[in-house]
Parts: sequence; C-alpha cells; structure tokens
Amino acid sequence: MAIYTVGRRRVIVALLLTLVLLLTLDLRGNPVLDRIRDGFARVMEPVESATDVVTTPVGRAWNGVTRYDDLERENQALQDELDRLIGTQATARLAVEEAAELKALLSLNSLAGIPTRVAKVVGASSNNLDQIIEIDIGTARGVRVGMPVVNQAGLIGKITNVTDNTAKVMLITDSRYAVSVRVQAAPEADLGPADTRPSGRTNDELEDLVTTSTGPTTTLVTDVLATESSLPQNNGSNGDVLTVDDLDPAEVPVNATPTTLDPNDPENLEPAVPVDGEVIESVSTTTTTTTVAELPAKEFGALEGRGRGLIPQIRFLQDNPSLAVLQEGDLVITAGGFDSLAPPDIPIGVVINRADRSGPGGPLLDVLPYADVTRLNFLRVVLYTPLSEVEQE
Amino acid sequence: MLAAIWQGPVIRLIPVGMILLALQRSLFVEITIAGVIIQVVLALAAAAGAAGGSERGATAGVVLAVMYDMLEGLPIGSTAIPMTIAGTVAGLLAIIVADPQWWLAMIFTTMGAAVGEIMVPVTRLFTGASDPFEPRLTLIVPVVAIGAGVLSPLFVPLARWCLRIKSAEWVAPPRESSL
Repeated sequence: MAIYTVGRRRVIVALLLTLVLLLTLDLRGNPVLDRIRDGFARVMEPVESATDVVTTPVGRAWNGVTRYDDLERENQALQDELDRLIGTQATARLAVEEAAELKALLSLNSLAGIPTRVAKVVGASSNNLDQIIEIDIGTARGVRVGMPVVNQAGLIGKITNVTDNTAKVMLITDSRYAVSVRVQAAPEADLGPADTRPSGRTNDELEDLVTTSTGPTTTLVTDVLATESSLPQNNGSNGDVLTVDDLDPAEVPVNATPTTLDPNDPENLEPAVPVDGEVIESVSTTTTTTTVAELPAKEFGALEGRGRGLIPQIRFLQDNPSLAVLQEGDLVITAGGFDSLAPPDIPIGVVINRADRSGPGGPLLDVLPYADVTRLNFLRVVLYTPLSEVEQE
Repeated sequence: MLAAIWQGPVIRLIPVGMILLALQRSLFVEITIAGVIIQVVLALAAAAGAAGGSERGATAGVVLAVMYDMLEGLPIGSTAIPMTIAGTVAGLLAIIVADPQWWLAMIFTTMGAAVGEIMVPVTRLFTGASDPFEPRLTLIVPVVAIGAGVLSPLFVPLARWCLRIKSAEWVAPPRESSL
C-alpha cells in the first residue's frame, strides 16, 4: 500500500533537485558527465545490437501490416518519378557539369571542395519531440560536433553529439535547429527561347557569363589526384591540403591559355606546388580572368526548424521590394559566413509560402526541404570547420 | 553498503531499463500510432509509481530517465525530470486506494504518463528551447498516456519485481480471547 509521508516528500524533492543540478551541469558542459555518457553508450551497444536483431522481424511485420497501402502508393509515385527523371537525366548531367565548371572558374566555395564521410542511419530519436537521428560514424572518422550533414537532395542537419563510432544528427526540422540561409531567385529555366542550353541560358548568355582575356590573371590549381577534396579555408602551410588562396602566383607555373589535361595520363602528373617542403601533384593549371554576372541573391535570413511534421521557416528577413520580392518558388541555400557551421551553397529547399507580418519582423517564408528527412538511409557528413574556428587554430 | 545496493531497488531496475531502452530505440520507433512513438520507459516509471508509491516511482523515474538521457544524447535531466514527476504523480494517485486492482493501476499509470509527457516540453522550455509546445502535443500526450495504460498490466508486475515490492497481505485480526 502506498503511503504518503513527509519523509517521502523530502526524498522526491531531493531527487528533483539533484536532477536540476545535473541538468545545469550538463548544459554548461561537463567532461565527467560526457565520459559517463560515452561509457554508457558503449555498454549499451551490444544490448542494442541484440535487441535490434530480435525486434527487426517484429518491426517489419508491423510495417507490413500497417503501411502496405502507403508503400504501394509510394512505389507507384516513385515509378512515375523515375520515368520522369530518366528523361531528364542527360539534361541534368549537363547542367551539373556546367555549374561545376562555372563554380571552379569563380573560385567559389562549394561543397565539392570539402571532404565528406558517408554514414548510415542506424537509429532515430525515441521521443516525440526531438528530430534527431543516429549515424554509424564518429570521432574516429573525423566527425565533430557542429558539422553539417547532407544527402544528395540537400541539407539534412548538423552533428550535435559524437562518440567514437556514432554521432547524433539534429535534423533541420528540429525546433532547436537554425542556420543562416540565402534566399535566391529560382532560375527561369522554363522561359528559354528555342536555342537554349539545359541550364536555361542561351549560348550567348553563357559566353557573356565567362569571358577570357589577356589581362591580370587568376590562377586555379586543381588537384585531381586527391581522393578527398580540400576545404577552401584550410591553411596549406600547416600541412593541410593546399587551396587556391594559399598560392603565390609567382611560384605557380602559368599557362597563357586554358589547358585541359587528362588526369589519367601519368605524364600530366607533375609536381606543381611545394608545401612545407613536400610536393603535391597537380594536373591542370589554367589562367582565366572571369567577368561574372552576380547571382540573384535576394535576401539573407535564418532558417529554423519547427518540429516533427512541420516544415522549417525563415525569419529575420527584411523585405525590400525595391531590391527583390521574396516569393514562392525562391530557392533557399546555406549562406555560409565567418561563424556559420555550414559552408555556403548547400541547397536546402524551396519557398512554398510567404506570410507577411505587421511591424519590423519582416515576412516569414515556409521552406519545403529538398531532402525528405522522414526517410533517410545513407548520408554524408561534411567535414567542414567554420572560418572562425579555423582562424583560432 | 554493497549489500544495501544489491538488495536495493536499483540493481534490478538497471538491466530491465537497459532492455527497455533498447526496445524503445529499436522496436517502438517503428511501431508508432498516428505517428506518435509509445514511450515504454515512461510507462515503466509511471507503473512503478502506481505499484509502489510516489517515492519508488520517483526513484524508478530518475534511474530510468538518466539512462534514457545518456543514451539519447540529451542533457541529463531533460527527460529525467518529467519521468520522475510521472512516477511521483502515479504514486500520489495510488494513495487513494489501499490495494489497487489492475484497472485502477492502469488509470494511475495513464495519468502519470500523461503528466510526464506534458512535462517534457515544459522542461525543454527551461533548458532554452524556443518553442517546445508543438501543435501535435494534443495528439502525443493522449497516445503516450493510453499506450502506457495498455502496457500497465505488464509493467506493474514488472515494476513490483524490479523494486522488490511485495503484494499487500491482508490478514484477519486476532481473535479476542477474552470474548
């Protein structure tokens, strides 16, 4: 029989106060608690593995019973999507190559220049509020807290907790997630005239976009041998991979005209740039001066998750119709920046709704993420370190 | 001291909690009702309160939820406080009946789990979450609470075993020899 006494009340109060103390310590960051957490995670690994083996058939049976109709509908929709994508695959490939070429010419920071690690989703948050998943790589593979996580569709979230062999990823739909973003006008691909390339630009426009001259030169070195490409902001002098900004034009052989070399041809692989006495092998050296039209960036803001089942929103926008009108269909990509945890130009999603607010708050933009965060299997952790932290190192 | 720990309530609760945690993170993530994940660990904490009173419920809530927070990578206490409150509330409700039948224990467990689930976003609010009260909370709370109630016929005996709670024994009063 349960009896309520003063002594019991004191025990309960003591327990609650202890938890508040633990919570405060943990929120402020306590290495002892972190070690205990890591140790407990290791202890639980075999238990979870065994449980997973036992319960997987049960889970599949449940899904088979409860989600059969959904799977059938989804399969049909995916088949339709596949048919459509096959038709546009060649066009898309050309567009990607074209974009990569332009980015390279512009020396823009892009995801293509940052090493990544492939990870498999091994778990999900077991409560109903957090939007967190668990992946199967950790500090042993170079993963650190704060690194962005992407899949082929776009940004997925960021690393919030790491152990040796696992990491927690907070999804962009989590209500605690925020990242600085850039709202950009959607390309007008559908408005192209008859002689139009896949990107939507005419040949003349493309030629105007990048022009080559004999004036002052910018040198671009591409290390095609590197299996993992470099961080644009890494400092090559400390032994890391060399980047364009680190190069001294006087030390770099310059060709007068752009050259294209076959990376598979061993004769083309000549030592190019010394770094700390070592020699890295680079392949092509081009001299190109670019005159580039500005991309139509409309506005910068902060994208914030809103929880399970709700799409993220962009806040802190200053709507200035004289510059650009924020509207449905605008593209949302990461803004990057000195303190941002994500590099620039990672696609996030598309604006599907605009809600105007009175006062100085500016409009709210609802963003439909490209990536379906409810169905994740394989991801990529972008081993990106913010510029602020690189400078501190 | 070791004997006290060995004979105390925690020694059985930890392995049971580990298995429940593993089930929570594997099976019950898949088995959702209307998209809501059934909280089995919370259900056991509330069932412990219904079976053994507020103090034991709070103790079970602390032990189970600290393990939960550690494994989920959450700040320790962010789930432990709601689960402790869940066990306490279920235990406080159990005071009204001397020896609750299974359906009464089910009601107490349901109500304790409901309060515990409501307390999760409240705790998040104090830890700095900007807007933890999701619109789905009106769906999450009843589903989690009913799920805990459905599991209570299994979890109340389990909690009794874990916490070494003996069933109440009712004995007849001794005969008055003088009569």
